[in-house]
Amino acid sequence: MDDSPPPPPNDAPDTQTPPPPQQTSIHTGSPTDFLKGVVGKKVIVRLNSGVDYRGVLSCLDGYMNIALEQTEEHVEGNVTNRYGDAFIRGNNVLYISAAEAI
Amino acid sequence: MDGSSTGIQEPLDLIRLSLSERVFVKLRGDREMTGILHAYDGHMNLILSDVEEKIMIVNEGEQATVSVAKRKMDMLFVRGDGVILVSPPSRT
Amino acid sequence: MASQVLPLELIDKCIGSRIWVVMKSEREFTGTLLGFDDFVNMVLEDVTEYEMTAQGTKKTKLGQTLLNGNNICMLIPGSDGPES
Repeated sequence: MDDSPPPPPNDAPDTQTPPPPQQTSIHTGSPTDFLKGVVGKKVIVRLNSGVDYRGVLSCLDGYMNIALEQTEEHVEGNVTNRYGDAFIRGNNVLYISAAEAI
Repeated sequence: MDGSSTGIQEPLDLIRLSLSERVFVKLRGDREMTGILHAYDGHMNLILSDVEEKIMIVNEGEQATVSVAKRKMDMLFVRGDGVILVSPPSRT
Repeated sequence: MASQVLPLELIDKCIGSRIWVVMKSEREFTGTLLGFDDFVNMVLEDVTEYEMTAQGTKKTKLGQTLLNGNNICMLIPGSDGPES
């Protein structure tokens, strides 16, 4: 004799509900997510003038104002200045590029 | 969340921490200057004192040369839209 | 009111694809579009930057890059840029 309770029916709705949709990646790829991922990393900031600033991204704001640490200024491939800290006004920024894996 | 050991949370904090210090300012038109930072606002309008300005003058010609003009000013207002970069004195 | 596709809806459909970005100045970018915002700031991956100068075109390879939307002129979806 089998005393155990009957097994649940196979079509029990609880076992059939699909798992909640899983994000394929933490980063959805939006500018905000990119910036979250890149803070504290080495970046290249290029200005519209073509001048590059390479350093560690401390933080930035909605105007794309940027605070960089250990900054090197590059003009046409040559280092032209070094700054411990640098504030860059956002309107000059052409792009921010990750210089190491995010 | 800030990636800085100095605890700055937004870029303007870098400027705030430089008040009363000598800062380096890079402006449009190849102008560079240092001065004591007395005031700033969100546009990056600045009040500097004891300013030394460096103006790069490119002399066009067969061999383009760059000469540097310097001048000193006691007290200066810098309009924010010309500002490219502000660097506080080195902490090292 | 006729149904219409908003321009940015079209760009949204390009996420994950190659895109060619032409700036207002003599500068262009190609890359894989990861995302963008209302200002059309764009996050691109596997980027090539093209700077057109009198001396010729200078190419620069970049990793993940946030491109400021302020100076963007045109977007060409699905294209791999001036060399394709």
